Parts: sequence; structure tokens; C-alpha cells
Amino acid sequence: MPRDVVIVGGGHNGLIAAAVLARAGLKPLVLERTSQLGGCAATSELAPGFRCPALSHRAAIDPAIVKALDLARHGLEMVTPEALVCAPTLDGRALTLWTDPTLAAREIARFSPRDAERYPRFLETIARVSTVLRVLMAKPPPALDERNVSDVITLLGAARKLRGLGRVDAQRLLRWLPMPVADLASEWFESEPLLATVAAEGVLGAFQGPRSPGSAAALLLLGARAGRPISPGGMPRGGMGALVDALAAAARHAGAEIRVEAEVGHIMITDGRATGVVLASGEQVPAHVVVSNADPRRTLLGLVDPIHLAPDFVHRVQHLRMRGTLAKVNYAVSSLPRFAGLGELTDQGQRAAIGGCVRLCRDINAIEHAFDAAKYGGFSEEPWIELAIPSIADPSLAPDGQHVVSAYVQFAPLTLGGAAWDNERDRLGDVTTRTIARYAPEFAASIVAREIVTPLDLERTYGLTGGHIFHGELALDQLFLARPFLGWARYRTPIRNLFLCGTGTHPGTGLDGRAGVLAAREIIRTMRADKADG
Amino acid sequence: MGTGRIIVSPVRYDAIVIGGGHNGLTAAAYLARAGRRVLVLERRHVLGGAAVTEEVFPGFHISVCSYVVSLLRPEIILELDLPRHGLAILPLDGTFTPMPNGDHLWRVNDHEQTRRGIARHSRLDAEAYDEYGRAMVELARFVKPILGLTPPDPLSRSPRDLLTLAALGRRFRGLPNTARHHLLQLMTMSAADFLDQWFETDVLKATMSASGIIGTFLGVRSPGTAYVLLHHYMGEIDGSFRSWGFSRGGTGAISLAIAAAAREAGAEIRTDAPVGRIRMKGQQATGVVLANGDELDASTVLSSVDPRTTFLKLIDASELPDDFVADVQRYKFRGSSGKVNLALDGLPDFSCLPGPGPHLRGALSISPSVDYMERAYDQAKYGEFSRRPYVDMVIPTLTDPSLAPPGKHILSCFVQYAPYTLAHGTWGDQREAFGDAVVDTIAEYAPNIRNIVLHRQVITPLDLEREFGLSEGNIFQGELTLEQLFFLRPAPGWAKYATPVRNLWMCGSAAHPGGGVMGAPGRNAARRILGQDR
Repeated sequence: MPRDVVIVGGGHNGLIAAAVLARAGLKPLVLERTSQLGGCAATSELAPGFRCPALSHRAAIDPAIVKALDLARHGLEMVTPEALVCAPTLDGRALTLWTDPTLAAREIARFSPRDAERYPRFLETIARVSTVLRVLMAKPPPALDERNVSDVITLLGAARKLRGLGRVDAQRLLRWLPMPVADLASEWFESEPLLATVAAEGVLGAFQGPRSPGSAAALLLLGARAGRPISPGGMPRGGMGALVDALAAAARHAGAEIRVEAEVGHIMITDGRATGVVLASGEQVPAHVVVSNADPRRTLLGLVDPIHLAPDFVHRVQHLRMRGTLAKVNYAVSSLPRFAGLGELTDQGQRAAIGGCVRLCRDINAIEHAFDAAKYGGFSEEPWIELAIPSIADPSLAPDGQHVVSAYVQFAPLTLGGAAWDNERDRLGDVTTRTIARYAPEFAASIVAREIVTPLDLERTYGLTGGHIFHGELALDQLFLARPFLGWARYRTPIRNLFLCGTGTHPGTGLDGRAGVLAAREIIRTMRADKADG
Repeated sequence: MGTGRIIVSPVRYDAIVIGGGHNGLTAAAYLARAGRRVLVLERRHVLGGAAVTEEVFPGFHISVCSYVVSLLRPEIILELDLPRHGLAILPLDGTFTPMPNGDHLWRVNDHEQTRRGIARHSRLDAEAYDEYGRAMVELARFVKPILGLTPPDPLSRSPRDLLTLAALGRRFRGLPNTARHHLLQLMTMSAADFLDQWFETDVLKATMSASGIIGTFLGVRSPGTAYVLLHHYMGEIDGSFRSWGFSRGGTGAISLAIAAAAREAGAEIRTDAPVGRIRMKGQQATGVVLANGDELDASTVLSSVDPRTTFLKLIDASELPDDFVADVQRYKFRGSSGKVNLALDGLPDFSCLPGPGPHLRGALSISPSVDYMERAYDQAKYGEFSRRPYVDMVIPTLTDPSLAPPGKHILSCFVQYAPYTLAHGTWGDQREAFGDAVVDTIAEYAPNIRNIVLHRQVITPLDLEREFGLSEGNIFQGELTLEQLFFLRPAPGWAKYATPVRNLWMCGSAAHPGGGVMGAPGRNAARRILGQDR
């Protein structure tokens, strides 16, 4: 007896899709390859008692999803930091962008009074234009070749929101999307490290530097999730694992079944229709619908035999741009890192300042230089680093008085020119430690344990093809109508009854769960239509 | 005439055109042909702006800036009957790329020969070249009519704008899915990424992608550079003439032919007549004041110079809306190229294909690899000219011997990158070092070049600004990037050639569809003024 739906991959989008499908009365089965659910939201135990976000250290689950799936009841509690980001400088100062804009502006004034004056307006403007983007992010992209009423309503809604912004903001939005994020930042600001701190948002996980056109779109999209240009998101109390637990609980509660250590070998296809999956163990799991939380390339070229796809579609899948550039270094440390620029704050003040994320980037050129190295297959001696120290808000993540420090390190390309990642792993770790220590001199001595996750590990261990954390570059040619492919933006694939639900699909904005919900709704709609057709 | 001291010109013109470049002249010709009384004012002693031929060294008639005919609109050639006015386009056949390993790539207009040339490097690429050509021709057919369109404003509520937009949308929907996919990619991707989808030969991709960066402060890997690849396929559809060629008598001869057409239609053209400012009465342009103090009346003023000069120098910015001034100040120029014109005592002798031959009659491109091109850009990002630049060269004297004394030649070298703003030193100090870098680069492939240089003219971005009035040395009067194209060029809401000043119009490359010796902005502006653009 075939199951209703089988979901390949127990990442956050897979779990969310399962929950939504189950709440619609279906009986989805989630199959997770590893022993741990969560995919990119996984947790890593670095040393006894030290639990660090293995990959993502930001979660920005759409509040609508939190509410719809009643995640609070399933144990999710988000901790909102007092500061969005802290950017220490090499000359012993620090810029802390407190969540409270007035406090943030006061900090900025120490670097530039003009920037301080502009900062609140910048926040307001981004919040306003975000409302338009959120309308588009909350619905599947319109289908180009069908005329359907709901698409027209979505588009008209977005158009109305766009007009509602007023001419100046609407023009800004249209003009900003294709721009380099460095230009967007310098339209507003003049001082470092504010410029770099803002610009960094546009290059997270991307194979693009702050001067690459289109990087502003990434900032606007990621920012639209919470309506803020810098959105470290929040950390669930109990770490990323708590988020995963809540999602799994919500899915199970709704009636989904979840199996771990159940690696899918391939998707069964008969007459152009997906009919279930075959596990690596050989076990067959027949299903009416197969949903893949894996990235589009892994799904369509790995789990599907490409013989079922048209050659030019295969070509498009092969050329989907997913060149990851983000590496992770996770640290267990014996004491809280002390940043030179925060010396004047009390202990409590320091903890608050670095409770969001910490960005180590001297200036925009330094980020761009770090990207330059990646273009030629190297990684920079001075990478751009973003740290999160989740144990500040949640001491349970580390033994008493000790901490876990999660570092995003860019730019580290998957393909190294003339070297192998397994030989370069420690050098990457050392470069990272050295760079952090330039801002926090005692950091190196405090390290208890260290874990290095190279882009190759992201691909091998976490199944992210190309090591790309967003399952495909957030670039203008791979967004909205064209995510993952123009003509296939509505979670369907050329294989009937095979759907995608990962962040490689619209809107692609990482750990927010939108793709999972939208995919699930599209699946429900399709199943109902198919049923109606008999 | 309050004071009675002001000398007012006895005639009142219907239109005064500021700037006697090819666009200014084109606009003048169209207006004159419609019976308007037109005066063109050129600051320099010679017509043509950047489309100019000058006797730089005795006997050497050099196309000082623009050096090939690329996109001159066929309708302009036809409507202004330019061949009768002396325009003769001579073929520029092929592109020859010498390689450091002693090999070369040579593409010519003869398709079969090009295929064989590419097949020497890769059989697959030779096949892909056909497929690529077919795809591009299809897209060129879609884009061409847009060049002649007054850009609709997507934020307007006017039925005409909405209808134009809807028509564009319908045309897009009418394309096959593959063509839509390629079009979207062309508009947003980098030239290198776009070409990666077709080809594997590095030197082929490098040379093709070069067209995407010309005149732009972007690298071949920067998103947004793919679009210009299409330009190479625009001419081919017409069949009647090639997209690339020389104009007999140098590029200046194009301007002179247009000027002749304008004069024949009754336009008056003055050289050595710099405009000091645009005369305003209230929010309305009423004529111009020449640098010598002469005042000239006109019911319409057209500016073919860039917006920075027009609105921040020729007009007092306080007379303009603040938003508009901010847009003009933000408009990006960022010149990135220079020109080195060499008067030669013989022909360059390429080590990889020695001796004179037909390969010297086309473009000679120093673009050995994609990384080479990108590294040239990387240097410029941080304020240095490329030590090993991309150089696009032609020897017009092989096709048009009248340009130089018998036996002598001109080697016209377009060089990228040369940033307008240098991190160290000034262009005054760096000019000769820049010239040396170009000659050294050429000498790596054609060592005899050092011995045959009779004279050298080095044009830096600063020279382009000072001598040719191109702000920051941008050859297109402003970056051709997405946020400055179509309905955003030069400023959102002001893409229809009109300006916030009544009776003042823009007709230069800073208006849609942008730069290149195309003439489209001049023609479009004139037709718009005449109400013929429907």
C-alpha cells in the first residue's frame, strides 16, 4: 500500500512540509539519511558539555509558521538578542548595533554623526520595502504559462504594495535589487566598519563579493524576513537542536512519521511519475508523492536517474550555480572572548553587545579581497568572519562559565586550485583563529576544542551540493520565477509527483521555513486537482 | 530685456543641441528634417565627441576614442541617408587572440572557418558555437525593438506606460521557455558564467566575455556583464551590413556624415562654441549662454552631454528638485578604460602567427584566459591600472590606408582597466607608466612592437573627462549596469528623454538605450520631442 507522501531529508523545510501536509490530513513519512534531524540546523557536540550549532547559527523562522504550527507549544522559544551585530575594529574600537535603533545610532555617532543621523531612516526604509518583498515571499511565484486567478491576485497585491510605498521607495527597490551591496551601503553611509557590516549581509554564503552586482538583492531578501537590513535572527533556547526538536514534534503531533538513518538511494520513477523511493538498504517505500528536501541538483541528478529528464533540462540542472564559499569553524572555549573594543563596557554590557553576532571585517575592501582569493581557488589569509556565541543567551550549551563560538568563515571555495580540502583543513582553522585573535587577543589561548567544517564537508556530510548553504546562489537569475529554474518555480519538477521543498526553491531565504510551507501547499493543491481529475 | 545690456541673438531657434557628438548630431538631423530650426553647439574645434577622427601626428588620422562601428542603428543609416553623406562601412573581419603558449584563437565572419578555428581547441565548443549563435539570434530579435522604445515607467499609472509594459510582458511570455531562460540569464548573469554553460575553451570564453566588460567597471565574472554578448548578434539579423566594421576616414567620418545630413536638412552647427550654462526662466529652459557670454534663445534645449555636466554644471542645482539632484549625484560613471594610439613604422609581428596576414585585419584581442581578465579587474578595484590589461586592438590602416602615410600604420588600443580614481599618484604622473604597461603587454605576444612605435598617444580616463567631456572618463556617459538601464536611465522616472526642467531634453548616451556609437538616444529623443515615438 503506497504512502501518501514520502519526504526525502529531515531538514527544517522537510519537517515543516511534513507538518503542513499532515495537518491537511495526509500521512507523510520523512526519511533522514543521518542519525540527526535538522540538516543545516544540526547541533554539534564539540567536547563533553559543549553544544555548538554545527552549521547555521542563525534561525529566522517565519513568525506565521511558528504560529501556524504552534511551535511554542512544542517547545520553541526564540531568544532575541539585545544587539543585532557587533563589529570590533582593529584599532581597538567597536561598533555595536543594538536592536534599539536609538542606542545603535548613538554608537554609530562615534564613527560618523552623519551616519548616525541616517541609520534610523535606513532601517525604516528597509522595513518598508521589505513589506513588498514579503508579499512575494509568502506566495509561490506565478506560473508563466498558465493563467490563474491566484497568480494575478498575488501580482496585483505586490504591485499595490509597491505603489503603496510611494514613488521614492518604489524606485529605490527597483534600483537596488540589481546593485552591488557595497553601493547600497554607500548610498547611506560613509564610515567603516558600518559600511562593511551592512554590506556583509549581501555576501553571506555567496560566491560574490560586496562589489558584485546583485548582492544587494541578497541583503534585501534576507532582510525582508524580519524587515531588517541586518538580521542575525534569533537563537532558539536550547540551541538549534531545540528548533529541530520543536519542528519534529509538530510534524509528529500532526501525524507525520519520521525515520532517521534511512538514506534514500534513489527515487522510483515509472512512466514519468515518481512512485516512491528505494532506500540505500534496498527497502522500497512506495508513495503517491515524493518530496525532496535535498538541493535541486542532488535531487534531479543524484536521486533521479537523469534518463527521465530532457537533455536541456539536465543541462540547466548541471549549470545551476551553487558554488559554496562558506566554511565553519566551531570552537569550545574556556572563557568568553574579550574584544579589545569593548573594554569600557561592564561584563554584562559586553555579553549583551556580542549576544547577537560579531562581524570581523575591517572594511568593504577587506571582504572584497577575501572574495578575490576564492575566484582563483584559494582562501584568504584574512577571511571575513561572522561569529555567534549562543551560550551567552543559553548557558546550558556549555559548561559553567565556558562558551561555544560558532564562526562563519568566507570565502572558502569548494574547489581549491592545486590543493585538497582534507589537507587544508587545519590551515583554514589556523587562519580563522589568527584572524579572530587580531580582534580578541586572548581568544587563541581559550580554545578547548575546535571543529572545522570545510565546504567539502558541507557537501559530503550534510549533502549540500557545491557546499552551498542556500542550495543555490541567491542571484537574480536564480530567484523568484527562476528559482530553481525558470518555468519550474512552483516546487514541481518535470517528473510528475516529484516535488522540491528545500531552500533551493522560492524564496530561498535559508532557515525561515517558507519554502517548506509553500511547497506543501502546492502539493496539497496539486493532489486535490489530480483527485478531482480522477 | 530689463537692463538693455543683454545681447540677445537675433534668431530664436526651435532647438539648440548642446554637444556635437554623434547623438547630438543625430537628434539635430531628425529635428531639422522635421522642419525645426536647429543649432548644434560643440565645445571642441572638431565635431564628433568621442566619435572623432583627428590628425594626432602629421599624416596619421586617428580615431582617437571610439575605434570601430558596432551598433549604429540601421534605421538611422537609412533615414538620414548616411551613405550619400559619405558614410562607408568597411569590414572588420574577425577577432584574433594570441595566447602565451604560442597558440592562438582566430574567429572570422566566415562561419565554417571559425568552426574549424574553434575545433582546434575543442570539438564540443565548435558544435556549441552554432547552438549558441542560434540562441543569441533569437534573443537579439526580442531585444532589438526595445532599443528604439521610449522606456515605459513601471510606477506610472498612465495607460500608455501600462500598455507598453503589458506588451513587453506578452512578448516575453510568447518566447519559448528556453529563450526566456536565456534572456533572464543574459540580463543578470556574468559573461563568464553565461558562457560556461556553452563552452569549455578558456581563451574562447575570455575573448567572448570581453565584450561584456567594455567601458564598464566590472569584471567578466561580475553579474550583469552577459547582456552585451547579445550585441554581437544584433547586426547579423539585418543581413545587409555587419555588426562590426570601420568607417572609412575613421570613426569621426560617421559624425561628419550625420552632420552633413543635419546641415542639408537646415541645421546650423558651430564648433568652438562651448556652452557656459543653460538659460532658465522659472522651471523652464529658454536657451543657452555660451562661455563667451553670448545668449541664444531656443524653445527647446537638448543636451547630449552627460547628466552630471548638464544638471550640476550647466544648471544651478538649486533650480532642480532635490530628489532629482540626489539621483544625478548618485548616477555612476566610474570610468574604467583608456586608449593608447600608436603610430607604427610597420606591422606588429605575432610570435604565434608570424608575418602579415588576414588575422591583422580584424580585432586583435589580448584576452588569453578568464582569470587573466578577472585579475586585470581586481587590480582596478583597488585603484590601480591593470599591469597586464585587457587590450582590444585594431589596425585600421590595413583596411583604409588613407589614414596614414604610405607604409605606416595605426594601432588603436582600447585598454581596460584604467580606473578614473587612482589609489596612488595622479593620472598626470601615471600616464606614461600606463602607456608602457600597454606596450609591454603587447610585446609579450608581438615583440617587434617596441621597435616600430613612431608616436604614442595615451588617453587616460582623466583625459576623456577633460578633453571629451565624459565625466570620470566613462565612455558610455554612465555605467551600463541594470540599475542604470531602461526605465532607470539616467534616473528613475526620467527615462523618457524629458527632464524636470521644461523644454530641456536629454539625447546622449546617458539616456536609453545607452552608449556605443549607436545613435539611438539621439534619434529616440528627437522622435519623442516631435511626438513621433508611438
